[in-house]
Amino acid sequence: MLDFSEMMLQERQLLSSESSELAGKLRVIAGEQGVSASPVDRLATCRDYWPMGSLWFLEGKAPALPDLVVWPADTAQVAAVLALAGEHGVPVTPYGEGSGALGGAIPLRGGIVLDLKRMNQVRELDGENLMVTVECGLNGALYEEHLNRRGFTGGHIPQSIRCSTVGGWLACRAAGQFSSRYGKIEDMVVALEAVLPDGTVFSGRRVPRTATGPRLDHLFIGSEGALGVITAATLRIWPCPEERSLLSFAFAGLEEGLEAARLIIRAGARPAVVRLYDYAETGHHFPEVKEAGGRCMLILLIEGDRRLAAAETQMAREAALAHGGVDTGCGPVEHWLERRFNISLASKLFRQGAVVDTIEVSSTWTGAAPLYRAMQEAMLAVEGTALASGHYSHVYPEGAALYMTLCGFPPGEKADYYKRIWSAAMETCLSLGGAISHHHGIGLHRGLWMEQEHGGAGLEALRRVKQALDPGAIMNPGKLGLEEALEWRK
Amino acid sequence: MAEVNRKRLLECALCPNMCRCECPVAQAAGREAVAPSGKARLAHLLLEGRLPWSEAALEALSACLGCRGCTLLCPFPELALDDELLAARRNAAAAGICLPAAAPFDHNLKKYGSPYGSRGGPAAAKYGDGEVLYFTGCTAAANHPAAAGAALALFEQAGVSYQTIDEYCCGYPAETWGGETLARQLAAENRARIAKSGARRLVTGCPECRYTFTRRYTEWGAALPLPVVDSAGFFLELVREGRLKPRALEGAGPVTYHDPCLAARLEEKWEEPRILLGFIPGLSLAEAACAKRSTRCCGGGRMLQLTFPALSEAIAKRRLAEFPAGAAVVTACPFCRENLAAGGGAVLDLAELLARACL
Repeated sequence: MLDFSEMMLQERQLLSSESSELAGKLRVIAGEQGVSASPVDRLATCRDYWPMGSLWFLEGKAPALPDLVVWPADTAQVAAVLALAGEHGVPVTPYGEGSGALGGAIPLRGGIVLDLKRMNQVRELDGENLMVTVECGLNGALYEEHLNRRGFTGGHIPQSIRCSTVGGWLACRAAGQFSSRYGKIEDMVVALEAVLPDGTVFSGRRVPRTATGPRLDHLFIGSEGALGVITAATLRIWPCPEERSLLSFAFAGLEEGLEAARLIIRAGARPAVVRLYDYAETGHHFPEVKEAGGRCMLILLIEGDRRLAAAETQMAREAALAHGGVDTGCGPVEHWLERRFNISLASKLFRQGAVVDTIEVSSTWTGAAPLYRAMQEAMLAVEGTALASGHYSHVYPEGAALYMTLCGFPPGEKADYYKRIWSAAMETCLSLGGAISHHHGIGLHRGLWMEQEHGGAGLEALRRVKQALDPGAIMNPGKLGLEEALEWRK
Repeated sequence: MAEVNRKRLLECALCPNMCRCECPVAQAAGREAVAPSGKARLAHLLLEGRLPWSEAALEALSACLGCRGCTLLCPFPELALDDELLAARRNAAAAGICLPAAAPFDHNLKKYGSPYGSRGGPAAAKYGDGEVLYFTGCTAAANHPAAAGAALALFEQAGVSYQTIDEYCCGYPAETWGGETLARQLAAENRARIAKSGARRLVTGCPECRYTFTRRYTEWGAALPLPVVDSAGFFLELVREGRLKPRALEGAGPVTYHDPCLAARLEEKWEEPRILLGFIPGLSLAEAACAKRSTRCCGGGRMLQLTFPALSEAIAKRRLAEFPAGAAVVTACPFCRENLAAGGGAVLDLAELLARACL
């Protein structure tokens, strides 16, 4: 049976009497149906999609149980819960739909899991001013569906869109597959509503831009629940595109494909999707495209106003052909569109005993190809690694995001292997000047490299912000590398 | 009955819930334990013996509509999570754990042969040797007998040679609540009566009854000796043969057709009701946002309106919000009619609408 001793990362838990007393007070705030102390609910929120959670699950173990799960119905309830938790010094871990890949939603020190999914209303859609105000717990696919039915798109289509929330996107500073045109989540934020750890509610203004000091709401984008709870957001939206153009080109190598992508962006074109696959992933994803055999596939999706889309399509085609790209038509992009949410292979491999994960980083154009080669070499050098492949998934005028996929059958402890391969990847990335995360965030696991990423002074500044906003250190403790996650660092 | 396919269940448990946006339960409850992969994880731990069976665990595993919404996006083509959960729940019954909310209805089933206390059957029974056997189903009989009355009035109008029998519940609720033995007993009772009737076809307006007759009775050793036909398809046949002649409905505004999830996803029947509605002169059909195979459950699947009434009503309200404003809702399922009405919608059974146009 699952018990406390089989919680792999649990650092603390409430006494039963403390939990009962707190539950009573929470029920006054959130109602009888808004609080659960049931092991069934506590177990359901003990993890996210961090691979270690899956590996432990297969062994009948769990990362860490919360003492209570609370479902607030509105911002006022969130504020009251945080104020109460502060009074009692009880940790609070915000929870969306649990698709995070770095353990950010694991309640390391027990306490309250604040499940925000009942805050799922679209408060206002303002088509004239192209913005929507939406609560944090709305499922991403239902958010996009709501907009599409009314002729708009949110432009944010991460692979997790069907199993993540708007609040989750903001909290982990997400990027969607169409980001090269529409931007990343931080580019879409007009204003945020957030609850500070003492229960104070902060609301940004719904205006196009301000020069009124630092953007306070941007402090919460990527804060992963460690500084407060994002309860609602006003986001940019776009009219549904009238034209969509699908292109693909196969290149002799990654360098040629990267150069074509760099020049497309440099010239000012903004394809929504720009993805360049290495040899292994080209073979895996596009086996039916004969011309792509032994080459690297670049897929492009261009959309928007038909005149702009036509011009961008011409620019992209010219750049790709000028760098030796073989035109492979729209088929590969259609294939990607159809298969892009299918991650069933990971489930199958986990079940068969493999360790599977993805690591997304970013670098300048200059460093893009060397970073891929060095990371791949370092990851393959870790004993047990069967595969380390990659693709570039997002592009900028300055550089690109590199998305590595790994699969290993470790000879010993899986957790040891997991730490070793991540160390190999992260140390290599840092040594070549890359950023340790492009869009999955930090969570628990990546906190191990936060000091190297930010430098001592940078991380100390973040810690001071945390101390100022959350002096009781109740918000999602042990994450973002702001403080020690004791059991995992051992 | 099939055992849990542990491989399929585990692969679902290891998925990050990529289907949860299409799970009405997960979206209305907002609770991890009842999201599709959440239930798969819980079932896996229970079946592995890592967790003891409890009412709370069974309650979470029972929060499934069996609507197959999750299959719309599922990357595992062989997985039907509702079937795996159904099989998993039988282990709870074997361990002596029952769903408390189902107890009074289960009691009725055992005592009366219907979860509602009195057994099903149309308002106007007609025993005899008719060629078509009309099976009302206990949910239709208990909650909205007018729909069955309308269906039989249409049969009379069209000169159909029909009969009814003294029905027992088809077994769908018993199966839902883990009562395998009871489900088999009910199936045997119905099978004997249906076989004895000598009818050549069975027509029913209840998708749950059809699902049970066609997909379960064989494995329960009670295969029916006649084809089972949905009422919409049968009415369409009568209209096409000229035996029913729909007239324009005075003052009728637009209607929208709510596809019952079992009919749409398991029987792939969404065209017939729309073609049938198209025969009513002047009637305009406005499609719901999620329709046909992509329909969303009303909240009544797997008897949730009895065992999880608040959740079921919340799901109904979400579904009602997806219908075109100002359109009257028409459906062909007693569960949908009842549950959408409970959620605040004005809902007509297809037979009732057709009766207004034909009689």
